[in-house]
Amino acid sequence: MLPPILFNLFNGLIDTVKLEQTIRTTLAHVATIANCKLIADITDDTVLLQSGLDSLGFAMLVAQLEEDLGIDPFSQMQIAVYPRTFAEFVTIYRQAQQDGNK
Amino acid sequence: MAKLVIVTGASRGLGLAICRQLLVAGYEVLALARTLSNELQQLQQHNDKRLHFTAVDLSDLEQLSSLCGTLVKQYGRPYALINNAAVGYDGVLATMHNSEISSLLNINVQAPILLSKYLLRPMLLNQSGRIINISSIIARTGFNGLSVYAASKAALEGFSKSLAREVGKAGITVNCVAPGYMQTDMTNSLQGDKLESVKRRSPLGRLATPDDAAAAVLYLLSEQAASITGTVITVDAGSTA
Repeated sequence: MLPPILFNLFNGLIDTVKLEQTIRTTLAHVATIANCKLIADITDDTVLLQSGLDSLGFAMLVAQLEEDLGIDPFSQMQIAVYPRTFAEFVTIYRQAQQDGNK
Repeated sequence: MAKLVIVTGASRGLGLAICRQLLVAGYEVLALARTLSNELQQLQQHNDKRLHFTAVDLSDLEQLSSLCGTLVKQYGRPYALINNAAVGYDGVLATMHNSEISSLLNINVQAPILLSKYLLRPMLLNQSGRIINISSIIARTGFNGLSVYAASKAALEGFSKSLAREVGKAGITVNCVAPGYMQTDMTNSLQGDKLESVKRRSPLGRLATPDDAAAAVLYLLSEQAASITGTVITVDAGSTA
C-alpha cells in the first residue's frame, strides 16, 4: 500500500492528466462547432492564438468547460489574466479546480 | 420543446407585456425582477409550466456571473435574453447625486453587458440565439432632466452594434428596440401638459403602448428576423419622425 503522501501525489497526477485530456477533447469539439481547423500537434508550448482556434472559439471553449467542469477560472480571478500557451491554460484550470476542492 | 427566453425587469410595464406576448407565442419564459408583482404572479398562475420567476437585484453586479451559471444549470441553455430592466431617475445633472448616477449606470449599462456576457456563452455553444436590448428614443433625441438615462441608452445601442459584429458568425443576433414615451410606472412623472404635448407632437396623435414595443421584440425573436442584427427598431408612434 502507498504511503498517504505518495497516494495523494499519484491521485493529483491522475487528476491533472484527466483535466488536460478533458480540455483537449473539448478543444477539438468546439473547433468543429466553430468551424476552425486546429493545428495537428498541440503541445504544452503551443501559443493559443496559433492553435487554429479563433477568439470566439476560445469563448466557446471556456463556455463548454464551464458547463462540463462547473468552473470559470477567468471570472473567479480578481485580475484579468490571459494565458499565452496551452500549458498556461491548463494550469489555470488545474489551479481553479484545486481551489474549488479546498 | 419551447425556446427559453430570459426577460429582465419582467414584473411591470414593458417587461410584463413582453412576458405576456412570449407566452402567447409559445415560448418558455424566465422572468427576472426584484420582486414578483401581482400581475406577474397572475400570469404565472395561468402558465405555471412555462413561466418561471427568479428574484434578482441587478445592481449587485458581483453575483451576476454565478446567477447566470445557476440559471443555465436549472433551466437549460437560453434561446434569447431581453435586457429590459432599467431605472430612469430624472433631475438636472448639476444636482443629481453621484450615487444615483453610479447606480443608474450599473443597472442600465453594466448589468445588461454582464448578463449578455454570461448568457451569450450557452448561445455560442448552440450556435444560435438572440439578444435584445431595450433602449429608448432618448438615446438619440434628448430630454431635459434625463441626461444620464440618455447616456445609458446610447451606451446600450453602441454596445449592441459592436456585439452584433462579434457574434454574428455564431448565428446570434443583437438588436435594440427603442420605445418612445409609453404610459408605464416608469414614466409616471410625465403628466399633464408635458404628456399632452408629447401626444400632440406624435404623427399618430397618441403614445406607443408597451404592447406595441413588445410586438417589436417578438418580431426580432422570430425566424423571420434571422437576417436582422445590429439595428434599432423605434416604436414611438412616429414621435421622432
